[in-house]
Amino acid sequence: MKNINFKQLFSQYKLMALLIAIAIIWAFFSWETEGGFVSARNLSNLLRQMSVTGILACGMVLVIIAGEIDLSVGSLLGLLGGVAAVLDVTRGMPLPLSLSIVMVMGLALGLFNGYLTAYLRIPSFIVGLGGMLAFRGILLGVTGGQTIAPVSSGMVYLGQGYLSAGVGSSVGIALFMIAVLLTWRQRTNRAQHGLPVAPMWRAVARILIIGLVLSGFVRTLNSYDGIPVPVLLLLALLGLFSYIASQTVFGRRIYSVGSNMEATRLSGVNVKAVKLWIFGIMGTMCALAGLVNTARLAAGSPSAGTSGELDAIAACFIGGTSMRGGSGTVYGALIGALVMASLDNGMSMLDVDTFWQMIVKGSILILAVWVDVSTRSGR
Amino acid sequence: MSDYLMEMKGIVKAFDGVRALNGIDIKIKAGECIGLCGENGAGKSTLMKVLSAVYPYGSWEGEILWEGKPLMASSVRDTEAAGIVIIHQELMLVPELSVAENIFMGHELTLPGGRMNYPAMYRRASELMQELNMPDINVALPVMNYGGGHQQLVEIAKALNKKARLLILDEPSSSLTSSEIVVLLGIIRDLKAKGVACVYISHKLDEVAAICDTVAVIRDGRHIATTPMDEMNIDRIITQMVGRELTALYPKQEHAIGERVLDVRHVTCYDVDNPQRKRVDDVSFSLRKGEILGIAGLVGAGRTELVSALFGSYPGRYEAEVWIEGERADTRSPRKSIRQGLCMVPEDRKRHGIVPDLSVGQNITLAVLDDFSRYTRIDSAAELKTVGDEIARLQLKTASPHLPITSLSGGNQQKAVLSKMLLARPRILILDEPTRGVDVGAKAEIYRLIAELARQGVAIIMVSSEMAEVLSISDRVLVMGEGVLRGNFINKDLTQEAVLAAAINPQARADGDSPASDAAGAHEHMEFI
Repeated sequence: MKNINFKQLFSQYKLMALLIAIAIIWAFFSWETEGGFVSARNLSNLLRQMSVTGILACGMVLVIIAGEIDLSVGSLLGLLGGVAAVLDVTRGMPLPLSLSIVMVMGLALGLFNGYLTAYLRIPSFIVGLGGMLAFRGILLGVTGGQTIAPVSSGMVYLGQGYLSAGVGSSVGIALFMIAVLLTWRQRTNRAQHGLPVAPMWRAVARILIIGLVLSGFVRTLNSYDGIPVPVLLLLALLGLFSYIASQTVFGRRIYSVGSNMEATRLSGVNVKAVKLWIFGIMGTMCALAGLVNTARLAAGSPSAGTSGELDAIAACFIGGTSMRGGSGTVYGALIGALVMASLDNGMSMLDVDTFWQMIVKGSILILAVWVDVSTRSGR
Repeated sequence: MSDYLMEMKGIVKAFDGVRALNGIDIKIKAGECIGLCGENGAGKSTLMKVLSAVYPYGSWEGEILWEGKPLMASSVRDTEAAGIVIIHQELMLVPELSVAENIFMGHELTLPGGRMNYPAMYRRASELMQELNMPDINVALPVMNYGGGHQQLVEIAKALNKKARLLILDEPSSSLTSSEIVVLLGIIRDLKAKGVACVYISHKLDEVAAICDTVAVIRDGRHIATTPMDEMNIDRIITQMVGRELTALYPKQEHAIGERVLDVRHVTCYDVDNPQRKRVDDVSFSLRKGEILGIAGLVGAGRTELVSALFGSYPGRYEAEVWIEGERADTRSPRKSIRQGLCMVPEDRKRHGIVPDLSVGQNITLAVLDDFSRYTRIDSAAELKTVGDEIARLQLKTASPHLPITSLSGGNQQKAVLSKMLLARPRILILDEPTRGVDVGAKAEIYRLIAELARQGVAIIMVSSEMAEVLSISDRVLVMGEGVLRGNFINKDLTQEAVLAAAINPQARADGDSPASDAAGAHEHMEFI
């Protein structure tokens, strides 16, 4: 009996469990590195390191919720990052133009994957596997197997730039205002339709917690060099994708397609179009991740993004996305990415051998999914 | 030593306290063929599952004697060892494997080292085919090279290879053509001559009359009678199957029937696996505003196929012409159909009705989500308001609209699925088995709702296997059998016997038009009939 209660508690507070896991990992590494791990400088690094996987995970979580998988994202990221470097370095194109070309290419290739999956009914696993090989091949062809450098300073800013302390603080305040506004709107809206409204103290407590977290976040990063640009991008994507997943018609359909595609189709939903656009979004995220990756390295590398798909997929699963499809959250996937990045970062600081790092990451993935599966109430 | 090969005495099987079988006695001699008849849900399949130990000894009450000794089988393996083999309605063959490999599945003849002894298996399989008078079958070819009839033979050969002495055939002819059925019946006669006993379960009473020595009828889990076939005819079997008088369980509401709203012409559906076979063969019918049209028929008659073709969700190849309010309508996909006010509540709630990971409320609004969105954003407060109203209107019992739909009872899940389609404001509503797996209370509420919708002018098509239900709430009843329309009755003094007789009469043909006498109904396309 007690066991069942524990299970229920766990699945209800999955987010809490994940945050506790992160707290344990951070505490362990801080203790081992005598505080070095939680220094402002390292946290800033850590967040920058997770940004590429995080951007991919934002798209991947939607793909997995819809009951599909995309294995081509690592290669596609590499290809689009490589194209960005070629356009920037070899062609000398102005930054806005090369950015738009890469984004449109990402969308188009993603839609192509989606078309193959949804309309030609090729299993997405195969489409991804084929894309993984083909996109990497195209990348090798485009770059001639060479690293393309140095990219322009404008592009480098995307991956390595920081917001000044003033701008960073304003971003923090703006986010806080949005949180207040959303809470207030939700309350008035519910009251308007005569639905029960949660007590005031809960809204206030919620806003207070958000405020504390935000100010801690901004202060820590400002005490180093400021908020890194890719981290800001990731935050924006977190907001956008959480909004899409939980507030929009499209988002609701992603969940319902993944949970029971046939029932959704019989309810008059164009399930093929839903899948097509999910892959389109995934492609666009590959473009963004490719740009950030090229900017971070200040070069287009033919091996960029290798096994990026695995990191992104692992992040989603660690973050509690169901592999049957139908359930999962964007913030969960990002916390999953943070877990992976923390392990990478911490073990590197401790000079753990690479082979150990791989073994640990693999085991954590399996452990996380085992915990998730065994606490899912018996279905 | 008893005269009987097998005797079942006082078999009682309950599910959650509900008695599906309530004291059944069946006896069978070697070389005898007994026909087991009953309406859908009478308990035939349950009884056979008891006999073949799908439900192991101890999970039911009563006694089975096998050659005079109690049989206490705990699994299908035990009953097969004794010689009781069941052939299910759905063939259990692996199409890609050869005839011989299928016959020996699970009992392969092997050489040392676990290698397949193909020569021995081919030899034995060929012998079995000889026994079945089918020497033409090449046992080394994949099963999928042969048609449904021959595949059925492979199943029988598989059973014979297990030294079957009692063969249970559950609707063996439901997927066969008439010439294949003749072959099947011939083989059963041969088996009888060799001393193999058979239990023949079929809705096709002419087959039962042709092949069986005795007929046992069960109804509502009770054994009605076992009679030698000489003393029976098809009419008597039907009377025994139906038996009860219709009670006034379902009060009928008066409602006006208006103009013709739906015309369906030439619906033909082909089997998904066997494209030569027609599941629905050229069915046409029409429907009026506020009319409740029941579609009756036995399992496999093609009712679900017919309505899913209308709605655009039939999985195989099909043809259908649909007119809504006199205009040709494109209903080739559920999306298009729903937009034109043609909605369907599907038969299989779990697979086609509910979305298990969504909440009750999210399931209810799935089809009309666009109505609650501004610039694609869902107005969740407006959505919740509608959901709340719906829950109250349908008396859907849920503690909160945020609960997962899987936490509800079957009846309340069905109400949610129904509500989903009602929100789409249907002009024509198809309900496929709307009360399957629904408790009595929820059933009554669903009937009340159907009557209320009809009063509001919604045209309703209700497919149901429960004859009492069809006769109680329909204005008109279409009867289907083997893919064709066999009857079109105004529901006035209509009896279950008449419906059942039409359903199993292979000669019957009917057109499905609504016979109300107004000129408005006579459109140009009426020339087709």
